[in-house]
Amino acid sequence: MATAFKYVGRSYPAPDALRKASGELLYGSDLRLPGMLYARLVLSPHAHAAVGAIDTKAALSVPGVVGVYSYHDAPSTPYCRYRIVPGQAGCIDDEMLFASTARFVGDRVAAVVASSLEAASEAARLIEVVYTQLPPVFGADAALESGATRVHPGGNLVHQFDHATGEPAALPAGAVTTCTAVHTQMLHHAAIEPHTCLANFDASGKLTIYSPCQSVYGARTVVADLLGLAYNRVRVVKVPMGGSFGGKQEFILEPVTAYLAMQTGRPVSLTLDREECIRATTVRPEQRSVVRSAVRADGVLLSLEVDTLLAAGAYAGSSPDYAQAMAHKLTRLYRVGRYRHRGRVAYTNAPVAGGMRGWGAPDVATCAEIHMDQIARRLGLDPFDLRLRNLVHPGDIDPITGRSVGEARVRECLERGAEAFGWRERAAMPAGPGRIRRAVGLACGAHKNGILSGAFPDVCTMTLKMNEDGSLDLNASIHEVGAASVVTLKTIIAEELDVAPETISAREADSETSPYDFGCFGSRMTYVCGAGARALAAKLRDRLIAAAAELLQISPMILEAVNGRVRRIGVAGSDLSYPEIVRGSRMRHARDMIVTHTYKGTSNPGSYCVQFAQVEVDVLTGLTRVIRMLTAVDIGRAINRGMVEGQCRGAIQAGIGSALCEEVVLDGAGRAGTGGFKNYHLVNAADMPPVTVLLVEHDGDDGPYGAKSVGEIATVPTAAAIVNAVNRALGTAMTTLPLTPERIVAALGKVAEVAEVAEVAEVAEVGGWDASCS
Amino acid sequence: MQLSTVLNGRQVSLDIAPDARLIDVLRNELELTGTKEGCAEGECGACTVVIDGVAVNACLVLAAQVQGKSVLTVEGLASAGHANALQRKFVELGAIQCGFCTPGMLMSATALLARNSKPSHDEIRRALAGNLCRCTGYAAIIEAVAAAADEGGSAQ
Repeated sequence: MATAFKYVGRSYPAPDALRKASGELLYGSDLRLPGMLYARLVLSPHAHAAVGAIDTKAALSVPGVVGVYSYHDAPSTPYCRYRIVPGQAGCIDDEMLFASTARFVGDRVAAVVASSLEAASEAARLIEVVYTQLPPVFGADAALESGATRVHPGGNLVHQFDHATGEPAALPAGAVTTCTAVHTQMLHHAAIEPHTCLANFDASGKLTIYSPCQSVYGARTVVADLLGLAYNRVRVVKVPMGGSFGGKQEFILEPVTAYLAMQTGRPVSLTLDREECIRATTVRPEQRSVVRSAVRADGVLLSLEVDTLLAAGAYAGSSPDYAQAMAHKLTRLYRVGRYRHRGRVAYTNAPVAGGMRGWGAPDVATCAEIHMDQIARRLGLDPFDLRLRNLVHPGDIDPITGRSVGEARVRECLERGAEAFGWRERAAMPAGPGRIRRAVGLACGAHKNGILSGAFPDVCTMTLKMNEDGSLDLNASIHEVGAASVVTLKTIIAEELDVAPETISAREADSETSPYDFGCFGSRMTYVCGAGARALAAKLRDRLIAAAAELLQISPMILEAVNGRVRRIGVAGSDLSYPEIVRGSRMRHARDMIVTHTYKGTSNPGSYCVQFAQVEVDVLTGLTRVIRMLTAVDIGRAINRGMVEGQCRGAIQAGIGSALCEEVVLDGAGRAGTGGFKNYHLVNAADMPPVTVLLVEHDGDDGPYGAKSVGEIATVPTAAAIVNAVNRALGTAMTTLPLTPERIVAALGKVAEVAEVAEVAEVAEVGGWDASCS
Repeated sequence: MQLSTVLNGRQVSLDIAPDARLIDVLRNELELTGTKEGCAEGECGACTVVIDGVAVNACLVLAAQVQGKSVLTVEGLASAGHANALQRKFVELGAIQCGFCTPGMLMSATALLARNSKPSHDEIRRALAGNLCRCTGYAAIIEAVAAAADEGGSAQ
């Protein structure tokens, strides 16, 4: 199918790949400006404390120290780190530049600015803060108990919702109800590049921020609103980013770095260390969901009800939207007559939760897909058959949003994936009686394409200019996060204009010079911005044809653009090259070959992924190894095949971690991430299993050439597939992630008991809110 | 103190603080910012350099420890502006996404290929076990190292 394209579907290196390989590409922490100062933060060592006097005398006496800043000097205007557009609904302004009440271990209490990093670090250690400790509250359930310590004066309930579709119906004879409580943990994004920001406030009163961010316009909104600057006095430049995975989507360092630059009148660079990144940026929220279903004896889902309790940590950030996002995934995945999702979001004295790859989709898929396997076990069905009986079909309407799921090919993912993986054969193999138990598991997931919902402007504007030699400049607010978005857009434009992708240059976002884009969020880059780029290129092609017609004095109706030239349809040798058109049209008709196009997302179909995992569990040590995985992704169309496959494998690397070993653990005092990567284990090259990537490609959706999103969906079912495989290997019903060796050994001791609980965990009717299945 | 070392094939001599980490001297004094810092504790490998043929985390050694030794950083891989085989294969085979782990990966692979010109996939995986990547899932990186070995290793 992809062979019909000239450029789409091939493999291209990431942008700047050669400069990344030579070491010459400058990332945020590599940038140096004349007179630049270095900042270090002083973070609260207490989970909950009033910040009193701050003794800065010793710090200020360190040679090179320029200033120390805290809430005693800085504005106390509250803001929301997640705000992208002005007046954004659902944003809660509860954070300040510096805390007067520290609400988690890692809360910003002060900052030191000095002429060297060493001086700043030494001074930061010398600052003495008088804290009055307050009782902390950990865990969303504890935070919502009456009488719990209030993290913020308004109480701990940040947000709640209740979405329902369909009516509860009487259950037919033989129907089975099942309840599963699943707990997913705080995760660190673990971009290898630590968070960094550089800001400069010049004599003209203009603030320039160099940030590896996901939305220059969003950073501008937050910083300009907070510091009282006009939007055209805050310039945000997206600099090369060493990974985000959602960890850099919220505006964490930009406000404080900008403030320090304004105070000092000098460029200020702030880079966090790894421990600070784990503690003091964002984490994937810890959440617990209770999933209840009623299923007909033949496996058809009758109802699905989910109650989610999610910990926002110390500040609301994106957690209200994140929790709501969880409620918008399962009705895209399964046909179910009755769906209800209730959610509550609570403040706790824990690290701030934020967006992370998949944005609620992996979280809710983990819960639902572990639950589906429990249903299958109770009914004696193959997990494959249970899924196939219930998955959506192309063109289904998602009852929660009322929109089409589009050309949803999740069933094809399941069937082709199972075939290629050898699911039936592998699933029939016994786990074995020995020390090493082996089994397979599968899971499905759904995600989205863009943010078409009415709440956000799913809009991007781009400008494309052709030069006299036919080379092209794309001006768009692109945010490269490691997924080669720049190359994706170039490839689409190349395909549409029939020119080589190397002839196109594209810069990344700069809020002063590149036109508006909402940002690199919501799996919208390829689906929305890519469609925008295609429409933009088509507009330029039409303009080239019109200009050629004018030059040739013939009707544009009989012209076509082929191979970088415009010619009479089907007539070779009747043509003008693109450079001839650019030069001729400018000289003779004063026309420039430059177009601008504003594109708005028009639909939001589902992206789908089904994954199959084979695991080996050592019942003596509890250690699990994933030995093979297959991922089948309904991508619609791969634009840059190599990068798509890389993203699919990277998504599995992260998913294995979330299933087995990654967790931001709080100690009793609320300290997270002590020791950095030493105590936060990522899957490395030696432990990474072979991954087969199967892409399901087709036309039918509004993305460019049928393309849909991949980066987020590709990690959605991973953890569930692995957990299901482990539970099948051991006969357990583990539902608390990650499945560490300790948890596995503990579960082995009570296999029978756990299995029994799963068997009897029936809830005949769904009543009030329950935090568990009991 | 005075540090004398061979850096990327050239003799360099400079005044350093005795307690300066090698990564800081490289990045701040010598402006070789290709060596990245990801964790400062030797866990992520982003700062890997090759010292006398051995891949080492530059965040865990003092600059003073390379006195009289030979240090190779990512900036020393290309010759006369031309990427070497390893760098080319990383680019061509999609081993680079965000690129932050790339210099460290290249340096670990350089040390491997210098001591084992035809490593198996398992040997490559073990040699890169100390270099974390969050983007690629490693497969393309391992393929790139194997492909560079097939082309005669990293020796340009």
